[in-house]
Amino acid sequence: MKSKKRLSLGKGLAAAGRSQTFLYLGIGILLILFPIFDSDTSQVNVAAVAGVWILLALGLNIVVGYAGLLDLGYAAFFAIGSYAFAILASGQFNIHISFWILLPASALIAAFFGVLLGAPTLRLRGDYLAIVTLGFGEIVPRVFRNASVFTGGVNGIVGLDQPKVPPVFGWSGNFGFNPIPWYYLILGVIIVSLFLINNLRNSRLGRAWMAIREDEVAAAATGINTVTTKLLAFALGASFSGFAGTYYASKLFLVAPESFSFQAVSVVVLVMVVLGGMGNMRGVIVGAILIYTIQTYLLIQLPGWIDSATAALNIDWLTKLDLGHYAQQSNYLIFGLILVGIMLLRPQGLIPSAQRKVELELGTSEDSLAELQGQV
Amino acid sequence: MPILEVKGLTKRFGGLLAVNNVDLSVEAGEIFAMIGPNGAGKTTLFNLVAGLYKPTSGQIFFNGRSVYPVREFWRTYSPPIAAYYTVADAVRRGVGLGPLPLGLKPHAVTTLGVARTFQNIRLFSYMTAVENVMVGEHPRMHAQVWDALLNTPFARNEERRVRDRAMELMRFVGLERYADQYARNLAYGFQRRLEIARALATEPKLLMLDEPAAGFNPQEKAELMQLIQAIRSRGITVFLIEHDMKVVMEVSERIVVLDYGEKIAEGPPQKVRTNPRVIEAYLGKSA
Repeated sequence: MKSKKRLSLGKGLAAAGRSQTFLYLGIGILLILFPIFDSDTSQVNVAAVAGVWILLALGLNIVVGYAGLLDLGYAAFFAIGSYAFAILASGQFNIHISFWILLPASALIAAFFGVLLGAPTLRLRGDYLAIVTLGFGEIVPRVFRNASVFTGGVNGIVGLDQPKVPPVFGWSGNFGFNPIPWYYLILGVIIVSLFLINNLRNSRLGRAWMAIREDEVAAAATGINTVTTKLLAFALGASFSGFAGTYYASKLFLVAPESFSFQAVSVVVLVMVVLGGMGNMRGVIVGAILIYTIQTYLLIQLPGWIDSATAALNIDWLTKLDLGHYAQQSNYLIFGLILVGIMLLRPQGLIPSAQRKVELELGTSEDSLAELQGQV
Repeated sequence: MPILEVKGLTKRFGGLLAVNNVDLSVEAGEIFAMIGPNGAGKTTLFNLVAGLYKPTSGQIFFNGRSVYPVREFWRTYSPPIAAYYTVADAVRRGVGLGPLPLGLKPHAVTTLGVARTFQNIRLFSYMTAVENVMVGEHPRMHAQVWDALLNTPFARNEERRVRDRAMELMRFVGLERYADQYARNLAYGFQRRLEIARALATEPKLLMLDEPAAGFNPQEKAELMQLIQAIRSRGITVFLIEHDMKVVMEVSERIVVLDYGEKIAEGPPQKVRTNPRVIEAYLGKSA
């Protein structure tokens, strides 16, 4: 009887797996064909930039979602990836290393800085770690702004190299400002990243991260070196933002320090991860797309919509209030309200990981190893 | 040779002397119990051995090798590093600090062959039971970061092997039916067993159990005693803290008694049971 039950369960799982495969296959085909449906390629361009945010969110998800380390300075690694590319592939010092070499190289550079930041700070727990990473996230863009000899200061570096491939189908192979190759490039990078991160999660390392997140003391007592394991989370998380940084800088043709501020990057990416569902890659992707859409589409269109709505209603005092103007001014307020609303409705995230779901209902242990050892 | 030897071990928490100048040695292959009233310093001693706390003074040897202080270790193996410690200690003393608090990290103690369970069960609640045990195998796995990233055949094989071994341990503690349940959903007694399985997964030579029978009914206690015997017959030395006298007297070969952080008695169960100081510690002075 027992075996029968298991068999039917197995069948159910297989069926679920098959329909899921079809779903992903469908989404994949849609994504590949997407540029064909978009005649003026403006939406393709938007999608390509959204891809950068997805990549950032996936990287931060390793640190926050898997290893449970609250990192508020993720923008720093994004900035490091961007500037590494900008310095090594532009007229700034007349160094022109190929984009295709720098894409993995800047991931390594970002990972190195991940270790550099992680090493002194990983004894700290939750809130304290968050504060230190926040500081790091503020320092890095400031260094780039002030070290103007290397980085061009406030103006940043303009005229970065762009990738090239051998010409195909009558296309020159120059990426330039044509969004279609950029779109396919980021699509490829994301698919590879998904594959790599999925492997990580199901590996020995992923299991160690989860163990540390659940109970650091017990993890150490079972033989996990908590320091190196956390460092690896920082390094691997940072490396994906290195990819994103290189891509972003090259696509934009320039880097400037203010694109890496706390409110522009670190917080937004964290919101994507938390709101999408920490520790769940699908959730994080959905979160990234949603937040990006709200920021670049909804918030910008909203004043216009309000204006046309009040005009249509044609009520004198309502038109005089000029609500559209206020909506434009209180952009961030509206953004905040939307976030609060979503978090109230779905505190576990849009697509939570199975573990997070139960955790949120029942709480988790909060002792840290350093705290225990710090007792004199 | 004793598998674990503790010499003059002292631990102070501010004004509280939790463990005071304790000497004890656990022989390889025995079942050794530590008893004592609440607050006697038993768990503190466990934490000291496991590397969670650093001793105020004293030495800990595992298989004749120093776990703490590390200075002794380096003095034999690397004079330059030992010299660094000497200088650093001198500087710290000069500015009014104590010597560098250096000992092996908890994970290093575990890889030396000391595994433990916790008094208040500490499982990875939101991982499945078998995953909990697999975490215990972590230090003996060899897949590197790139193996993990690319899911190489090596990593896949190792994962399969480790899962099989974990399942074997689950069978050993009698939990194979619950392998895919979240640890936190297991019944209390099963959680204790799962913690033991996780500790065994690290392939310890010495297993330290902190009150394994707490909250058990007589039936569960009998099963636990069987399990402890079975663990010992695998060649693992068992060092346990226990309050339940019946379990202690029946299962252990030697007992040490702690009171107010001091060792007040040591010996076989029959002898310890009749020791007047032990009776006094447990029942109070007779009027």
